[in-house]
Amino acid sequence: MSLPRTSTRFLFFTGKGGVGKTSLSCATGLALAESGRAVLIVSTDPASNLDEVLGVGLSQVPTAVPGASGLFALNIDPEAAAHGYRERMVAPYRGILPAAAIQSMEEQFSGACTVEIAAFDEFSKLLGDPSATAEFDHVIFDTAPTGHTLRLLTLPSAWDEFISSSTSGASCLGPLAGLEKQKALYAATVERLSSADETTVILVARADTASLREANRTRAELADLGIRNQTLVINGMFSDATSGDPIATAMAQRATEALTDMPAKLAGMPQTRIPFLPRGTVGLDALREMAHPETVASPTSHEMPETSLPPGLNGLVEKMASAGHGVIMTMGKGGVGKTTVAAAIAVALAGKGHPVVLSTTDPAAHIATTIDGAIPGLTVSRIDPAQEVRQYTEEVLAKASQQLDAAGRAMLEEDLRSPCTEEIAVFRAFARTVDEGKNGFVVLDTAPTGHTILLLDAAEAYHREVMRTQGDMPEAVRQLLPRLRDPSYTRVLIVTLPEATPVHEAERLSKDLARAGIEPYAWVINQSLLASGTTHPVLCQRGAYEVPFIRRVADQLSRECALIPWLAEAPVGRAGLEHLVARQPYVEAHLSAVR
Amino acid sequence: MKKLEVFDPAMCCSTGVCGVDVDPILAQFAADLKWVAGHGVTVTRYNLGQEPQAFVANPAVVKEMEGGMGRLPIIAIDGHIVSTGMYPSRHQLAQKLNIALTAAEKPHIRVGVGDCTPGSGCC
Repeated sequence: MSLPRTSTRFLFFTGKGGVGKTSLSCATGLALAESGRAVLIVSTDPASNLDEVLGVGLSQVPTAVPGASGLFALNIDPEAAAHGYRERMVAPYRGILPAAAIQSMEEQFSGACTVEIAAFDEFSKLLGDPSATAEFDHVIFDTAPTGHTLRLLTLPSAWDEFISSSTSGASCLGPLAGLEKQKALYAATVERLSSADETTVILVARADTASLREANRTRAELADLGIRNQTLVINGMFSDATSGDPIATAMAQRATEALTDMPAKLAGMPQTRIPFLPRGTVGLDALREMAHPETVASPTSHEMPETSLPPGLNGLVEKMASAGHGVIMTMGKGGVGKTTVAAAIAVALAGKGHPVVLSTTDPAAHIATTIDGAIPGLTVSRIDPAQEVRQYTEEVLAKASQQLDAAGRAMLEEDLRSPCTEEIAVFRAFARTVDEGKNGFVVLDTAPTGHTILLLDAAEAYHREVMRTQGDMPEAVRQLLPRLRDPSYTRVLIVTLPEATPVHEAERLSKDLARAGIEPYAWVINQSLLASGTTHPVLCQRGAYEVPFIRRVADQLSRECALIPWLAEAPVGRAGLEHLVARQPYVEAHLSAVR
Repeated sequence: MKKLEVFDPAMCCSTGVCGVDVDPILAQFAADLKWVAGHGVTVTRYNLGQEPQAFVANPAVVKEMEGGMGRLPIIAIDGHIVSTGMYPSRHQLAQKLNIALTAAEKPHIRVGVGDCTPGSGCC
């Protein structure tokens, strides 16, 4: 059996979106149930497709999974839970306080932290209260609370000072102000998480450098909190020694290289490798295959399915170039290739003679450095999130900390580690960069989320309304909001992969942007094996799996869509990036083409 | 003993961490409240997002709020509203509470409120 060892009662799977947390949770749960245990699988990920994977409609109470005796699952939507808090807090005051007051109270409960804390509260009900899960031998969670949440909840000052009296701060825990009685429950939850007899945390990663780096970061963060019973799963390992297919050879080689260069502490952990399963992991049969990949029959077909594919990136670049200037932003979750796409577009625009600034937040900035100075008219600048956050943190602490005691300072420092601090810090750098799009092109691989944009919009509205002046809102920021909403100034490209979770997350991103009044200019589907020209049977099977996701993006989600094939040569340097733009989806060359 | 009450807008954090720029006024105001408390005044601070019952309990505050959220923050001394729509400076607080300022306690006069926007839900 290829699944990780599972001796503890509680199992947490953690990792970035798209690495296969939900699939692994389900495969592990199914294997345990089929060995005679009673198992509950819990999802608190708003992007979860747990019901799809298990083939059953789920709710907030355990539901039996048909065809798998002893297996139960429940799905908690933390956004719905956050909404529940909001109602509990606000409803008693409707009709008593003015409508504007009710509205401003409601708005306070829509942030990312509220959702994160709400998710933790749901965890706690299951983990901190033994009676809630008494009838199950194992409880499996397809997500784990973040280090930020755990640190926040273990700070004594979070409870003692800031919740019982809000004289000096409210912080991310604000939404839980009415729930002080939860304190003991949360303490029990954190204790269970750090007990090696009760809990295993399974880090899930792909065999690629960025994914392994992320897993190592999580490992260190949880270990610092005393959660040391961790194991590593490398999911989707593709190996190919013999086929001679250039795509298959390159894929296998890149995976080997990433694993060789894996951080030492990660490499020293107990490790399980799960092979590449081309058909996805929806349904119980597919989950059984995940546990026993040796039983999977090798596919034999060397042909890709026929479907009309969106064109390559070239046409999109031509259109954007004709505007002569403006801001182009590539957006998407980590690992989908935002930086590569941004760099390729920047190179192509510079190649047409336009002045271009490429601004990246890529921590390694490898792609960016390979083209810096290589093309006349192209400048590369870097936004370093760590540095921006450090600067911002120092600035805040310098201004605020002398009035705070040790407990207050600890709280403020934890506030500064929240995900929204990074967004805000990066945002300030972002605002500076966007300003440069007046005269030439600015291509950015980072963008604020809809939530940040709404937050700043609210800030601006507040300044207008309350201050009756423009206050001290920086000019670049004030200009930014209208500019981001101006389709002739800013073009947002949503980058995704032709797979379930990335498409699902991209869809959520586009809805978030719609709330902020921004419509994406186009979608870019990256790394399509279907269009790569491979004839390796396993990869052809994978190509077939991509079809519905490509269709969903091309036919339903996007006005304009481009597709980039999986490339055997890594797209770096001027030539590599130019090739990425010029390359047409392979199938199009000899099958039917749309547009 | 005098009682000072502050009715804040619905803020996610009184530190100003989550705004576009760091806001010194909120941090300063918090420090000024500590200073006031050190002069024997009972200080209580209510956040609309978390303690709406305190607002409801004071009809004069509710009446002010009907004029718009711009009336917040509301400062009340012994139940009587003394200022609306701004955070008073230490100097102004001292005047309203009859606290004598020493030479070392120079007034910090600043106008405006924080970038940690009420209702922004930023954290």
